[in-house]
Amino acid sequence: MEMVVCLKQVPDPEHFSKISYDPVTRNIIREGIPAIINPLDRHALEAALQIREAVSGRVTVISMGPPQARAALEEALATGADRAVLLSDRAFGGADTLATARTLAAAIRRLCPWDVVLCGNETVDGATAQVAPQLAEMLGVPHAAQVQRVEVEGQSLQVERALENGYVKLLLKPPCLLAVGRGVNRPRLPTVIGIMEAASKELLTWGLGDLGLSPQQVGLDGSAIRVVDVVALGSGRRREVFTGSAPEAVKAAVRRLVEMEAL
Amino acid sequence: MDFQLSREQQMLKDMVRNFAETEVAPRVKALDESAQFPSDLVKRIGQQGLLGVFIPKQYGGAGMGYLARTLVIEEMSRVYPPLGFFFEGGDPGMYLILNFGSEDMKQKVLPKLCQGEKVACFAVTEASGGSNPADMQTTATAAEGGYVINGRKVFITMGSVADYCCFAARTGDKFSAFVVEKGTPGFEPGHRENVAGIKAIPVDELVFSGAKVPVGNRLGQEGQGLTAALGAITLVARPGVASVALGLARGAFEEAVKFTKERKMYGAPLINLQALQFGLADMETDIEACRWLVYYLGWLLDQGKSSREVSRDSARAKLFATEMAKRVTMGVCQMMGGYGTIYDYKVVSRLTDALTLLPAGGTNEIMRVMLGGAIAR
Repeated sequence: MEMVVCLKQVPDPEHFSKISYDPVTRNIIREGIPAIINPLDRHALEAALQIREAVSGRVTVISMGPPQARAALEEALATGADRAVLLSDRAFGGADTLATARTLAAAIRRLCPWDVVLCGNETVDGATAQVAPQLAEMLGVPHAAQVQRVEVEGQSLQVERALENGYVKLLLKPPCLLAVGRGVNRPRLPTVIGIMEAASKELLTWGLGDLGLSPQQVGLDGSAIRVVDVVALGSGRRREVFTGSAPEAVKAAVRRLVEMEAL
Repeated sequence: MDFQLSREQQMLKDMVRNFAETEVAPRVKALDESAQFPSDLVKRIGQQGLLGVFIPKQYGGAGMGYLARTLVIEEMSRVYPPLGFFFEGGDPGMYLILNFGSEDMKQKVLPKLCQGEKVACFAVTEASGGSNPADMQTTATAAEGGYVINGRKVFITMGSVADYCCFAARTGDKFSAFVVEKGTPGFEPGHRENVAGIKAIPVDELVFSGAKVPVGNRLGQEGQGLTAALGAITLVARPGVASVALGLARGAFEEAVKFTKERKMYGAPLINLQALQFGLADMETDIEACRWLVYYLGWLLDQGKSSREVSRDSARAKLFATEMAKRVTMGVCQMMGGYGTIYDYKVVSRLTDALTLLPAGGTNEIMRVMLGGAIAR
């Protein structure tokens, strides 16, 4: 089975408190913030590796980003992916989810043949959860989001899609796209041998000219949404002390919680 | 000069940090309390390919060299120093088998050690002292097809859990190195020391009473024992101790930063007090100075330098790193006030770990004797 895993390099959430925004462009200032593979994308990679182990095949990882995103792809290769493609071009900068999905779709079409595309359900920086369904639409394939379980069944994939109070079981026949959630698996770490082998695996870099898209279809120009402003919300704790006997204090506390619509 | 780690080395460092944080950190308290040898973790480390990163690929290692080994030990020790110390205890044995063992032995033993299926130890120290091997009393007497060993080794890291013990013994008026397998009649562990720190890694007495080892278990030629042992100590054991100390200090320092940011006094986080900031600044400077001393040693080893060529670099790194780890962990405990003495807060365990590192691989007084003597010559 030919699988494509979409990865995004994101700022490490452990350092989110240090993130600031450019006052003019409203873009994140990433200097000094370590970059990691988006956590859910690791789960997507793990799901692909498990499918490969079950039925054999090939796993290609693909990422759109600046040249530094190569590090994320190298890590994915060390973890077990077979080859990688970095989509890097100044023209791709400032893309919203639509332009991102369009760029990824063009690259995946170029990777033909493929059977399954796997993505993390959302990223920790944008958190829109839009790229995967948009990508599925553009590729013209069915998709399942919030996937919490994947099993190969013959030529199809049986997946469980999480709902608020349960799950839906689906049988998807490739070609299809899966957007996986956290519970789907426990991602493996690269091994030392994997790290050593990664350097000899194929890592391609494609720019706008390789994808058959016009500058108006990608990046900021190809985006439907412009970020007008980003506002950081402050958060703090409020403290109230309820005095009197224990029953009185509890009653007063409950009354207060009801007033605050917390109960 | 290039101070940049290679992409592979950086990925290795990141992977070990990730491994230690996800698979080791949640168990540190229980491991500290039980003082049990973490054999399951050793196997997991083996599965990740982290044992024997300096061993060539044809013998089951990764062939990534000594700086890579330093990075592995540092990151493991940042979270749980005894696991870093496991490398210090086992790797000298691997080094001896790799450099002095027969091809058959290398093929038979090294892959198992690299996978964590088996464990090695290295035994030179005797009751007469560890830094004066000339006084060694253990004897290897030639007998039919091999040698008969009699004597006693002390302070042997992992002596009781090792499957292969590499040791030195007197053969006539010279010394030779051998390997003996666990379970060999006449070879058994004796007293286990109740050591202050690094408690999960046993430190044992080993007793030889007429143990027979075949000629094929001799490492190198007769009379090569001291050269072999000195190589294991200089190229592997001391850099290993220095790497444990480096990672240990980094972990303790990070605990101090976290604690002083969270703990409030006089209505503000402790870290706002300049007196504590000065202490943290000194600790970080100490750690970074140590890092480059230890990394440089790893780089020298990767250039193929001999034990003679790097003996001062190795002694210097071990001396500075272990003294630095003592200073930093002591400072962290003090900075945390009463909490710095409570085992639940881990740093006091790291202090006793740091104390345990001081004599490992040779006391720091011996390091000073070596360095001072070389300067005076």
